[in-house]
Amino acid sequence: MSEVKESLNNNSAPEKVEPTYWKSFKELHNSNEFIEASHHEFKDGVTDEFELSKLSHLSRRKFLALLGASAALAGAGCADYRDKGEIIPYTKKPEEIIPGKANYYASFSNCCKCRCGILIKTREGRPVKVDGNPDNPVSQGKICAKCQASILGLYDPERLTSPLKKARNGNFEKISWKYVDSEIRNALLKSNGKGIAIIAHTINSPTALSVLEDFRKKYPNTRIYSYELFSEEIKNSAWKKCYGDSQFPLISWDKAKVILSLESDFLGSEGNHIENARLFSNGRDVNNTNKFNRLYVVEGNMSLTGMNADYRLRLRPDAQFEFVMSLLNEVGRKINVDIAGNYKLSAFAKKYSLLSKTLKYLVNDMMKNRGAAIVYAGNSLSEKTHIAVNYLNEILGNKNLYRNETVSLHPYSTKDEWSELVSSMNSGRVGAVIHFDSNPVFHLPSDSGYKHALQKVDTVITLTELESETSLLGNYTLPVNHSFESWGDAKTRTGFYSMQQPVISPLHDSRQKEAALLCWIEKDGFEYKENLYHEYLVKNWQENIYTGLKAGLPFKQFWLGALHDGVVIFNENVPSTAGFNNTALADLNSTADVSGFAVVLKESYSIGDGRFANNGWLQELPHPVSKVTWDNYAAVSQATAKELGIDTNDYIEITIEKRKLKIPVLVQPGSADKTITIESGYGRTKSGTIGTGVGFNVNVLLTSAYGLSPWLFSSAQVKKAGGSYEIVTTQEHQSFDIELLKDAAQKRGIIREGTVNEFLKNPHFLHENSEHKLDTFYPEFPYKDVKWGMAIDLNKCLGCGECVVACTAENNVPVVGKEQVKRGREMQWIRIDRYYSGSVEEPSVSTQPMLCQHCDHAPCENVCPVAATTHSPDGLNQMVYNRCVGTRYCSNNCPYKVRRFNFFNFRDNFNDGYQLDNIFSLVYNPEVTVRSRGVMEKCTFCVQRIMEAREIATREKRKLRGYDVKTACQEACPTNAIVFGDSNDKEAELSKYRNHNLGYHVLEELNVRPNVTYIAKLRNTHTEEV
Amino acid sequence: MNENKNLYGVTALFDSANEIIHAAKEVEKAGYKNFDVNTPYPVHGMDRAMGLKRSTVGFFTLFFGFSGTAFILLFAYWTMSVNYPMVIGGKPFFALPSFIPVTFETTVLLGGIATVVGILAVFFNLPSNNHPLHDTDYMCSVSNDKYGIVIEAEDPKFNENEVTELLKRLGAKKIHTVMNPGKESFPIFEGRFVVFLILVVLVVCGGTYFTLNKVLYLEPFDWMLEQDKLIPQEKSTIFTDNKGMRTTIEGTVARGYLPYPFKGQTIPTETLANPLLPTKKVLEFGKGKFLTFCSPCHGNYADGDSRLHGQFPNPPTLHSARAREFGDGMIYHIIVNGQNTMPSYETQTTSEERWAIINYIRALQRAKNAKLTDLQEVQKELGVNVK
Amino acid sequence: MEVDYSTEAAVVEGNLRLAEIDRIISRPIEERPGKKYLLALSISSSFLLIGAICVGLTLFYGVGMWGNNQPVGWAFGIVNFVFWIGIGHAGTLISAILFLLRQKWRTGVARFAEAMTIFAVMTAGLFPIIHTGRPWLAGYLTPYPNQHGLWVNLNSPLVWDVFAVSTYFTISLLFWYIGLVPDFATLRDKTISKVKKTIYSVFSLGWRHSNRHWQHYEKAYMILAGLSTPLVLSVHSIVSFDFATSILPGWHTTIFPPYFVAGAIFSGFAMVVTVLVFVRKVFDMENIITLNHLERMNKIILATGMMVGYAYGMEFFIAWYSGVQYEQFVFINRAFGPYAWAYWTMVSCNVIFPQLFWFRKIRRSVPAMFIIVILVNVGMWFERFVIIVSSLHRDFLPSSWGMFVPTLVDLGILLGSFGLFFTLVLLFAKTLPVVSISEIKAVAPGSQPSHAGNHNE
Repeated sequence: MSEVKESLNNNSAPEKVEPTYWKSFKELHNSNEFIEASHHEFKDGVTDEFELSKLSHLSRRKFLALLGASAALAGAGCADYRDKGEIIPYTKKPEEIIPGKANYYASFSNCCKCRCGILIKTREGRPVKVDGNPDNPVSQGKICAKCQASILGLYDPERLTSPLKKARNGNFEKISWKYVDSEIRNALLKSNGKGIAIIAHTINSPTALSVLEDFRKKYPNTRIYSYELFSEEIKNSAWKKCYGDSQFPLISWDKAKVILSLESDFLGSEGNHIENARLFSNGRDVNNTNKFNRLYVVEGNMSLTGMNADYRLRLRPDAQFEFVMSLLNEVGRKINVDIAGNYKLSAFAKKYSLLSKTLKYLVNDMMKNRGAAIVYAGNSLSEKTHIAVNYLNEILGNKNLYRNETVSLHPYSTKDEWSELVSSMNSGRVGAVIHFDSNPVFHLPSDSGYKHALQKVDTVITLTELESETSLLGNYTLPVNHSFESWGDAKTRTGFYSMQQPVISPLHDSRQKEAALLCWIEKDGFEYKENLYHEYLVKNWQENIYTGLKAGLPFKQFWLGALHDGVVIFNENVPSTAGFNNTALADLNSTADVSGFAVVLKESYSIGDGRFANNGWLQELPHPVSKVTWDNYAAVSQATAKELGIDTNDYIEITIEKRKLKIPVLVQPGSADKTITIESGYGRTKSGTIGTGVGFNVNVLLTSAYGLSPWLFSSAQVKKAGGSYEIVTTQEHQSFDIELLKDAAQKRGIIREGTVNEFLKNPHFLHENSEHKLDTFYPEFPYKDVKWGMAIDLNKCLGCGECVVACTAENNVPVVGKEQVKRGREMQWIRIDRYYSGSVEEPSVSTQPMLCQHCDHAPCENVCPVAATTHSPDGLNQMVYNRCVGTRYCSNNCPYKVRRFNFFNFRDNFNDGYQLDNIFSLVYNPEVTVRSRGVMEKCTFCVQRIMEAREIATREKRKLRGYDVKTACQEACPTNAIVFGDSNDKEAELSKYRNHNLGYHVLEELNVRPNVTYIAKLRNTHTEEV
Repeated sequence: MNENKNLYGVTALFDSANEIIHAAKEVEKAGYKNFDVNTPYPVHGMDRAMGLKRSTVGFFTLFFGFSGTAFILLFAYWTMSVNYPMVIGGKPFFALPSFIPVTFETTVLLGGIATVVGILAVFFNLPSNNHPLHDTDYMCSVSNDKYGIVIEAEDPKFNENEVTELLKRLGAKKIHTVMNPGKESFPIFEGRFVVFLILVVLVVCGGTYFTLNKVLYLEPFDWMLEQDKLIPQEKSTIFTDNKGMRTTIEGTVARGYLPYPFKGQTIPTETLANPLLPTKKVLEFGKGKFLTFCSPCHGNYADGDSRLHGQFPNPPTLHSARAREFGDGMIYHIIVNGQNTMPSYETQTTSEERWAIINYIRALQRAKNAKLTDLQEVQKELGVNVK
Repeated sequence: MEVDYSTEAAVVEGNLRLAEIDRIISRPIEERPGKKYLLALSISSSFLLIGAICVGLTLFYGVGMWGNNQPVGWAFGIVNFVFWIGIGHAGTLISAILFLLRQKWRTGVARFAEAMTIFAVMTAGLFPIIHTGRPWLAGYLTPYPNQHGLWVNLNSPLVWDVFAVSTYFTISLLFWYIGLVPDFATLRDKTISKVKKTIYSVFSLGWRHSNRHWQHYEKAYMILAGLSTPLVLSVHSIVSFDFATSILPGWHTTIFPPYFVAGAIFSGFAMVVTVLVFVRKVFDMENIITLNHLERMNKIILATGMMVGYAYGMEFFIAWYSGVQYEQFVFINRAFGPYAWAYWTMVSCNVIFPQLFWFRKIRRSVPAMFIIVILVNVGMWFERFVIIVSSLHRDFLPSSWGMFVPTLVDLGILLGSFGLFFTLVLLFAKTLPVVSISEIKAVAPGSQPSHAGNHNE
């Protein structure tokens, strides 16, 4: 309303037209009458004393006049109406922005070393969501939960807003960059005699590297250290010993027919698991069942990969070496390659009570599929295990499954380099330490003495987004840009570069970390410009990289194209694997001593190495296996728990040499006895409101003098520590011993499964003995044209939970906090149900994404007294928030319990109003209502996207088609297990699944006619199993 | 006949139910019509003794009860299937079975209310607090433990002495005459009471208004009217300039928006090629955009005959040799950059629109100076022979 | 004491004269409140205060203050609602059904029971409102076009509830008031205080005990009784539809309507006895509310108690007989699952203890019956708890199972509901005739014509 009035008020005076070329002398000489004339915008008689009555009927101005009058009238009428705030349009609208329409920018996120390509969705120049960039050859449009949630990190209200300097009294005070620059320049120059250490995570940006080089040119004694808490260094060193190349190759999972994964979570947290998952799931296509791959997993704790195994064996990780050796012998005997040491598989099986039948299958499968039977060892295993595995693959002839595409621009620092650094720091030979967006104080082993040594350094600079354990110990804490505010490039694989571009100018007084260094290279008085690094980046590309690529285009176009696509793809030859170096086998005869407890540290599925501790979405994302949120825990087997006389939530104390850790346990079905698995990244002592003090810091167990591997410890002592804690899960712990509850999901037909052979023998086996007629009392409601439906392929669904975060981001789902999750009030619209079946020792696991099923005969609709949930003509079960009074009757009557109720205004309730911080208004999807307290909500099939698609279709004067819409969960699913579309469209991919022989509805006997079809999981076991 | 205008009637009190029954019978036999019996509780057989007809309250109830039924069914039909039909649980709009409970309840409700209001207002015509019998000893005793009979003066047969005689004969314990009260006073119309009423009305109305328009919108009540999400053109105090809408960053490239590389050059070093073919669809599209953005100055047929009738320096026709020799890329360049007085149309048009416009301009130019061959082409297409 | 059942026991004992009846019944109204009364009132009103505070918290912070969660969307709120609605039923039953059955003895207790009905329904009526997430929108539940131009969803049992409960309340109120009119008249003619007289005059509407009125009056009273009888049955049936029409195993049961009605009468009578035991003592009305009355009510408690017990058994049988595994699971889970304690409390309180009423001694011993009826009240509250919570907490998908743990606010509101109810009851007992004067007079010995006036026919 008000803008209409404004537009009426400004009766703009016609400006004098400056003639740039002339038609007549009059005009040329600016004769008065001409100017006079040109002052009137219109001919005489029209402008002068304009009167409504005089105007003809169809006059534009009359229309405007009436419009104005009515506007004024309405304005007066609604005087008491609530003010909607002022309206601020663009003064000069950028070409690409149309208010209310989203833009996408290709970039990548710094959230992990994978540098997956992303498309950042922006609205009016503000990033609101992150999707995958389909042009990126590795991630191919899929990204992990961390990447999805990184948008929340951008708007973290606790990000540093300006540089901080430690004052005499020890606490930090704000200081302007100007002073910071000069002070640091001086400090660096002073310390020039001494060394300067730059400590970074993985460096895979060529330009950043050249910045560091320039920095080193300026300050010659600079040394660059890089590390990751969880890396493949052991694997790589083993590979180097075997093949000379320092990079362990990638695996073509899609080519492998048989996969043996040893203590490796390649689908969950190791390597580029998004890519792994995609390739792996190629071998799980229900429309191509005889191409199914077979996954054997031998592991100590139930991992995401273990959940998806066809055959799973429990084995404590420090016995893996022995296992591989016995396997090697068995295989070697079969193909007459003699292997050192006398390991017997049968004996080993007896020793660790492994199913010899399974082992038999395993060996046979490997022999049958030589060249396509990959053996893959987890990062945490010891070097010799890796060597043995490499050799096993060698003799099985699996070389063609290797892809040597990994590129490392800068090697990780070795044990010795670290110890050397620490010692020189202690002896005062290091003048300055620059933490390049890294947190070594939290990550490095406590016995490395780094933390202590840091006090000996005069100038400690921490470039970081959030204050951290490390920044507290420094003198300068300098805010850096979030990846969505940064320029950059990356080279992670052969054959392409990834490009990074900012989508919003820095929200706070922060700089890009590379720019900070550039600024310190320059001499004093140098003025920092916001596009400093941008220019450097372009220059570097123009001069160094572009020339090498021999691209056809002129640089400018090339560059713009590169930014547009987010990747630069070019031809680069992939090095082939060299011959196996048998000297490596020398290490294989000694056997690891397996004693006491084995302790394994794993990277957290959600918060990584602790970098994402302050991210509420990730903290609340349930653990894919245990469904625990807001905590880490020590996973033990039931037998071990009994032996220790403890149960879930009780504390245990782990002692490895001198290092102690007190942590609550969780009895994890399917984990090996005497094995304790803990996720790292928790127990941050300085990480904002959300992350601080969540979980337990297991990095205290790390040591720089490790035996097997940095993350695997043998012969640890464990004892009951007394006292107990509360671990909260989003799913009740399932009991195995009560007959009534055992295998409930299977008995109830919620989870329906079969084996590949069963299916091949009889494609209709699933529905054979479940024939029931479903009558209705009323005639069916006819759904014309589009009717939305979904199919979820449980063969492809790994249960990773990427969809959960994507949904949270898309639909403005609030974080409720541990306390409320404990009460059973989590708000996520889609959840991954996990069911165990079988015994607690050897359970088989089934996962099932559960979201609103949009039933045709929705039970929730009948019971809502205020018609707040009804059906739309295109088959959606709608939830109308502003009608809802919150009786919760619909939730009671929902057989799937997928409805979520705002028991509080959770934004207010959680951490006393943490989410009410003004900046959170930028996170929310403008197209989705922010629900208040007392309102019921649930999955809408991303109705806002459907509406957008419909608008476009209408504008383009065509029918809306099912494939025009992609839901957030569907976009996020790394394995494309979710298919969405028009179930009336018989040609659509959706129908292919809905009418598939393996398709079934959960609780279909209730006759609520759900619209989500599940494709039953096929386990690729042997026929005898059936 | 009754001479004393002020007399209401004669009352008599009795001690037992039997006596009063007897008395009532006698009085009725004596042919009195306007008489009444007052007893602290309903005495069995009294209505027969007084010769009263059967009560007809029942019909009242019946009628209103069924009107309730009819009303609610119509209500259900109208609201659920006419006024605001919605698909609920796949049911038809008028799902009769699930409306039966409310139907029953409404029937009972209306029936019940009608009965009560009916007897009170219609049958008893209560309230009547200024009835002559009130505040008499007679009334006090009958409402406690005595049984009374009153014969009213209106009765055509009424004669004070005769009546008194009759009642005496029937063995009445006390006999009184009851006078009509003088002029009635209506306390309801007393000034103080009226003021009180007005005050009540004001308080109620004010309170209601205040509650519905103010209180219900205070914390903690939430109507989701203000949501802390940022919608287009909204103010946001997070940014120093208070603008919720941000601009793009210099040098970045949005998907599908490759910036025009030769921007700013008056004579472009290089020009782009037109990616669109002049299909019917494209030309239609281009025409629309041309008429929106170009025609105000260049005229509907690009003759340079501005609709602004030369108040601005007239723009050139696009049919000039110069304009026709321009390559598509050059025109594109002009649209993006502007030329002389013509401003840049970069922000108003997308690149697709520009190319479409160019195609349309080409069509116009072609049409303006068509060759004979073109005519033949047209004839071939239309299959007619135009002279 | 020996009672001869061959002739009907006198309704009013001690051969009271009519004036006597007046005096006894109106005494509590005219005298100043005694110590005992004030003590009782202060206790109940402080409970009410606690409840009010807890409701305040709920309104301000949200339903999150309660223990409800994802699977268990309904808990104490609806439990209390059903419980109190149930309590109400005895009143209507006594005043309407027993009236139609010509049970003279009802007169002694009818008025009080009706009052309790009204107060119970008032208490119950609060819960559907405060249990909603956005109580300030509760108006949407009433059939008017709200600001979305939207009407109510007449398919929803909750809307049926709105109709049923409001109808029930209105009719009960009218019924009660109609009964009060003659008594108001009596009080009006009795009192000397000017103020009281005006008030009574207003409420008595100028009733004159005229037999031309009595005739219609009795007819109307009969009609109302006739209307209330199906009404009272329908109300709890409809309340039970909240559950019966859902698809939740343990709720989706055809036995619910009769089962709920029986339960309601069961609990209602228990509550009436609980209160009357005090009232007749405090206001010494032993002669008007006699031991026979109590004994008769105890008999009804025994009968309905066994109906309820039958229903418990039948539920299990049907669950087994249906062969639906969800049904079977729910009932096994009720009896042996995490909420078994609630289930067995319910069974023992509702089925086992009432069996003691087979013995006349216990039926007629005030302390014994008091203990039993208190247990019945507890048991019936738990019945609703078991039905609602134990069905909800473990339904179809094991993944969504959870537990319900009440919070202090939950308990506070429960306490408050009792506070409200008893406060109202106490106020009533002091301001209005707790027994219908005219009705008692009508059934007092010798009050009716010896030959019922039908000589000469």
